[in-house]
Amino acid sequence: MDILVFATVVLPFLAAIALLLLRDKGSRGLIVVGTAVVLAAASLALVGQGAFEYGPKSILGISLDGLITLLDFALLFVILVIAMTKLKNPLVAALTAIQIVGLIYLEFFMMDHGAAKAAPAMFADSLSMIMVLVISIVGSLICVYALGYMPAHEDHLHLARSKQPRFFFYLVAFLGAMNGLVLANSLLWLYFFWEVTTFCSFMLISHDGDETSVKNATRALWMNMTGGVAFVFALIFLQKTGTGLYLSELLKPGFSAAGAAALIPLFMLCYAGITKSAQVPFQSWLTGAMVAPTPVSALLHSSTMVKAGVYLVLRLAPAYAGTMLSGTLAMFGAFTFLTTSALAVGQSNAKKVLAYSTIANLGLIIACAGINTPAAITAAIVIIIFHAVSKALMFLCVGTIEQKIHSRDLEDMRGLYMVMPKTTIVALVGVVTMLLPPFGVLMGKWMAIESAAAMKYMPVTVMLALGSGLTVMFWARWAGILLSTPYPKGVPAEPQAGTVRGPLVLLAAGAVLLSLFVPFIYGGLIEPAVRSSHKAAGFVLDGFNFVNQQGVFYVYPLFLVLGVGFYFAWKQARKVEAADCVGPYLCGAQSPGDDKAFLSTAGAPVGYQASNFYLTWLFGEERLTGPINMVSGVLLAVMLGLLLGGVI
Amino acid sequence: MGKLLLATLAVFLAPIVGGLIAGIDRKITARLQSRFGPPILQPFYDVFKLLGKAPMIMNPWQVLTVWVYLLSSMLTVFLFFMGSDLLLIFFVMTIGAVFFVMGALSTQSPYAQVGAQRELITMLTYEPLIILVFVSIAMVTGSFKVSEVFAYGKPLLYQLPLMFIVLGYALTIKLRKSPFDISACHHAHQELVRGVLTEYSGPQLAIIEIAHWYDVVFVLGLCALFWATSAPGMIILLVVTYFAELVIDNVTARMTWKWMLQSVWCWGLALSVLNLLWLYAG
Repeated sequence: MDILVFATVVLPFLAAIALLLLRDKGSRGLIVVGTAVVLAAASLALVGQGAFEYGPKSILGISLDGLITLLDFALLFVILVIAMTKLKNPLVAALTAIQIVGLIYLEFFMMDHGAAKAAPAMFADSLSMIMVLVISIVGSLICVYALGYMPAHEDHLHLARSKQPRFFFYLVAFLGAMNGLVLANSLLWLYFFWEVTTFCSFMLISHDGDETSVKNATRALWMNMTGGVAFVFALIFLQKTGTGLYLSELLKPGFSAAGAAALIPLFMLCYAGITKSAQVPFQSWLTGAMVAPTPVSALLHSSTMVKAGVYLVLRLAPAYAGTMLSGTLAMFGAFTFLTTSALAVGQSNAKKVLAYSTIANLGLIIACAGINTPAAITAAIVIIIFHAVSKALMFLCVGTIEQKIHSRDLEDMRGLYMVMPKTTIVALVGVVTMLLPPFGVLMGKWMAIESAAAMKYMPVTVMLALGSGLTVMFWARWAGILLSTPYPKGVPAEPQAGTVRGPLVLLAAGAVLLSLFVPFIYGGLIEPAVRSSHKAAGFVLDGFNFVNQQGVFYVYPLFLVLGVGFYFAWKQARKVEAADCVGPYLCGAQSPGDDKAFLSTAGAPVGYQASNFYLTWLFGEERLTGPINMVSGVLLAVMLGLLLGGVI
Repeated sequence: MGKLLLATLAVFLAPIVGGLIAGIDRKITARLQSRFGPPILQPFYDVFKLLGKAPMIMNPWQVLTVWVYLLSSMLTVFLFFMGSDLLLIFFVMTIGAVFFVMGALSTQSPYAQVGAQRELITMLTYEPLIILVFVSIAMVTGSFKVSEVFAYGKPLLYQLPLMFIVLGYALTIKLRKSPFDISACHHAHQELVRGVLTEYSGPQLAIIEIAHWYDVVFVLGLCALFWATSAPGMIILLVVTYFAELVIDNVTARMTWKWMLQSVWCWGLALSVLNLLWLYAG
């Protein structure tokens, strides 16, 4: 046990330090790939071990609780110094100072450090293990990809001295912090790792050091720091009411019976999760984070950071089940899903489309946590897993495409197949696995809508239905224009570094194969996770099909029919020869020899251009962001107001 | 086993029924316009002729996508007649819709591109409505399964009258009838030519036509669910609904997609919410 927890949590930090010290390319590659392999293996071994509780007391004779407290203060002071000197941002400084003061009050004036520990500092159930798997495997693949991506990125910037050691330091340390976060039972430990991820993301977003990245990183920092403040407040509140600062204490049955005394700290923790998951009105920090090098976006969006937020909300779901907080969280999540899907339709910037789609999926997860039935929790976990894989894949694709065509605009990706055939196919796999059955993300969406209908949450179902339609629109057109080519002859071979192609191919294969094995993943990990939190399973496996009172999802029949059918369709398409192919229909006025132009009456070629409908008059950021922020701000304020008013 | 047989039978019969409906549609429309109209079997003649033509396409993706479209439509009908999960069936239908649009987008044709964008807008318009219809059916019967609708014992129409109108919107859009024939009209309009269908011809167009027949059978099947208690009831409901569609098609003009998106979402949502509220109160 010691060794596995050490490998998943502490080892990434040690590797990060090594990456900082050994600056040459060879050792960097060795360390990153080595850490990736060890992390993946350790996470699998951890799953093999099953659920555990673990209370490490000391390391080399130093009390771990004390060490964490010390590091907490050190980290906050570092942020404070950065805020005051480099950023000169009074808001960040104030938010940090509040946390320092709160923490001093908590640690030195409220807590009795001599008392016996009420619970072990770490624990893992199936939910934690699913998170560890996602973080360690998807996250590691992204780190490996960064090995191939960063040299090209730095070439582009013409740096005198490589900043890669620093970059990889934060990237790899991030994985350790995330693993610590999802394995922590002690809320103080959780808070520490929480702040580490905030800090790492700040450093990574601001990595390029130009004005925009520093500005966007600062925004990410202050938004997440408000979550940190709420976290500290929740800790103080819990300590005041005599609840032990452990997740296991909050999850004891009957905790929410204490009424507002229980729900206010729960709300505070959920609020911290909402900021970390970039839910509206905090969406701008995540969309701003795309200025960072692509591996950072991929990491923040898929397996780490934002998933920490939904993890916490989901983890606490049993604690607030049946309360008003649960219902309002469902509303809030569904609202985020709908509005950010609409914003994604209005974007032609591929990274922004992905960012809004991430936020939408996180909103869906939070809505599921709020619906809070076993089936909804199942949906949430399914989406966490499959969204991580497909979204990491999509981000890495966009990064690779951007390095080749020097644009991240959808319109510039028209006919990408003629430039980057392999990456295009991989990107198509990404889109299809995000959008269509029989793949996992869609299955999660299906579970989510059915469980919302079962609970008769009308506003939630209406928002989910509308949002679902919007998702189809922005994914389908992206997939279509990638293929926008004449008869593909003379498609170039596409050379690519192994560290780039490897993660792309592995993630694409993973997205498909994981969906294929979903009944086994469900039986082995997801169902135990739901059972341990909600005492019942959301679905029964009947011949590997997901069945409950509400409906049925056929897994293998769909895979079989669609797979065979797709193979047949592929065969038919392969039969097409260049001789069968013609230029587009241009009303008989083609310019001879040029398919991309009409012939004018004067005999001159007149080019044409078609582009996507972005519906910016309806879904543009300028139009929607203000109202969305206002409504979501009011929603949050109402949630808090109702709790404070004791109307529960 | 009986269910599988029925579903298999439906997959074989659906194109025949769909083609006949298309033929009767054309005949009645002609009569409404004081024309004689083509023979009822004309759609079949058209499709057979198209199937016999040499392919003329822009790229292999089009072939891939039309086959996937047909596959998904067949699977939709199969699952529906198996009494399966409505929401799952809907998502399976989405596969076809997405691939159909991808095929049009894969061409460099300006008309197909515009048509594909408009097709996306029509999908955006009807998809939420269909999901809401399914959700409301599930709220009445307690399950998304088609078989549960038949086990319910009462016509859904009594409790979901407004949802039937909402489904009517989706039906009109799916049948490409005025005022919603926005992405590809039966008559080639100057600015759009044949929209999303422009670059499909010969066998590919035939496959799309057959897939469309499957879709029509599926959507009419959905309408029939609202009177699932008796076969004559179903038939009467379908005949009346389809005739209403023809009349609407003939008395309305094609509108713009902005108008469609706004008005259908507004009315569809308002009707859905009203009906659902009524369900709660009842």
